[in-house]
Amino acid sequence: MQDERFGIQKEMYRGQQYSQIYFARLHLMRTMLYSLIPNWKVHLPVCTVLGLEEGKECIIVGTIYKHMKLKPSILDEYSKERSTTPLVKPHNFVSSDDYLVLEDESGRVKLCGALLLPSVFVTGIVVALHGKETGAGDFMVEDILEAGFPHQIERPLVSGEDKYVVFVSGLSVGGSSSNPLQFQLFIDHITGHLGDEKEQSFAARIVQVVVAGNSVEYPRTLLNGQNLSSKDQSRLSEPIKELDILLTQIAAGIPLDIMPGPDDPANFSLPQQALHRCLFPGSSAFNTFRSCSNPHSFELDNVSFLGTSGQNIDDLEKYSDASDKLGFMERTLRWRHLAPTAPNTLGCYPFTDRDPFFIETCPHVYFVGNQEKYQSRLIKGSEGQVVRLICIPRFVETGTAVVLNMRNLECHTVSFGAEFST
Amino acid sequence: MASSSDMKGFFRQKKKTAARRGVGKSKANKATSFKKPKNSASIGTDQVQPPALISHGALDLQDDCDSKEEVLRQFDMSMAYGPCLGMTRLDRWERAKALGLNPPKDVERLLRAEKVNAQCLWDGRI
Repeated sequence: MQDERFGIQKEMYRGQQYSQIYFARLHLMRTMLYSLIPNWKVHLPVCTVLGLEEGKECIIVGTIYKHMKLKPSILDEYSKERSTTPLVKPHNFVSSDDYLVLEDESGRVKLCGALLLPSVFVTGIVVALHGKETGAGDFMVEDILEAGFPHQIERPLVSGEDKYVVFVSGLSVGGSSSNPLQFQLFIDHITGHLGDEKEQSFAARIVQVVVAGNSVEYPRTLLNGQNLSSKDQSRLSEPIKELDILLTQIAAGIPLDIMPGPDDPANFSLPQQALHRCLFPGSSAFNTFRSCSNPHSFELDNVSFLGTSGQNIDDLEKYSDASDKLGFMERTLRWRHLAPTAPNTLGCYPFTDRDPFFIETCPHVYFVGNQEKYQSRLIKGSEGQVVRLICIPRFVETGTAVVLNMRNLECHTVSFGAEFST
Repeated sequence: MASSSDMKGFFRQKKKTAARRGVGKSKANKATSFKKPKNSASIGTDQVQPPALISHGALDLQDDCDSKEEVLRQFDMSMAYGPCLGMTRLDRWERAKALGLNPPKDVERLLRAEKVNAQCLWDGRI
């Protein structure tokens, strides 16, 4: 398991601000981009933003900042009337007035040019730009170099039998719309208690189950900050107890990884730390049970996996446009950064000396949980990297889980319905 | 107020001809040029307190700022190694080393071996 980089146990908060993580990110990625520039445009000088001269063609490297007039500002809470409905409803904040600015430690410069579509980019990406400063003081962009897919360790060609990894997310156990029978059907299916010989032999080939976030749902009325009566307190612990009972059945037979999501009892900001073992007295008795961080990175049989419970991609959806969620996922790989909008619009721990969301090696499987529907695509990088992208749908809404065949990286779904049609 | 009345006395010190670090298009701080006058704790000017602003014949700020602290303050203020607030000086030095920025070895020696302030100069003041 390679989740050490997402742990914050060793970090100590000393009053640092987010400028530290941006500094670490800029330096880390700038060094890497400097090594790529000679292969891209070899004869152009590289300079800092402050070193720009009007009309001189050059390359600058820095962090992108996107100015968005529709982006909600905390200050609006003070200027507008306070009401019970939240001022901001999550939707897309892109507008045609957005513009991009490139920033490094010496200064910032507004970017112009038809090449850069602001709706594609977000604040926090580090890129190299080829262009020149205009008379108006902007930087006219002629070409852009993104980090590109990182290097991928080649998977040895495997023959032999199929081995399956099952992904599920958004169980929302304990919530009003969750149907316990539906998840129980899922459990019975993957543990081989259902179906004929063919189904059971499929279940026997499942080698790993990954639960990607939002496994419990707490009644919202209990979380308003009021003191709880003892009856309410026991209501608060019911969802996680129910989840533990269900997960024990899985952990008894198959290795199980559980990741926290935005609605789970874990810390709010990324990287979310692993759910505590004491929440799972039943399942944690098995050594097949692993409570993992979000994001989660692991390797099985020379296949490397990387995934989140959805916060990084959902945030990209609010601040940029793409044809589908897989498009956002592909961009994060091309920018070599799991969560570029952190810490700008996505909660993040203020690291000082590193940026754990930097993607160092290309995974073979990249998954994102808690999405509206199942989507999957196999994408190829410029150096022969092959990545299977998976959007895992919310189980409570769709009753669908995703099955990946590790032998050929093919993906399909299994759906469970518990309604009897009348 | 300046104590002497003529213009030569007004500018008590001549400008140093050593590399003048100004705000502008100069590159990031060269690691070896720490030849700043005493008590100067800011980028862009040679003096933190020009003679015109000295009141009652004594400088305002002279507490625990010996030459060792001076070197460390210049390290704190240097833009090349990133923000200094919220980190110990040694952590910032290690980060600079890890990112390949070649921070000055003198600063490391001072921070590890001698009794100096581990926190940056703004610690507790902001």
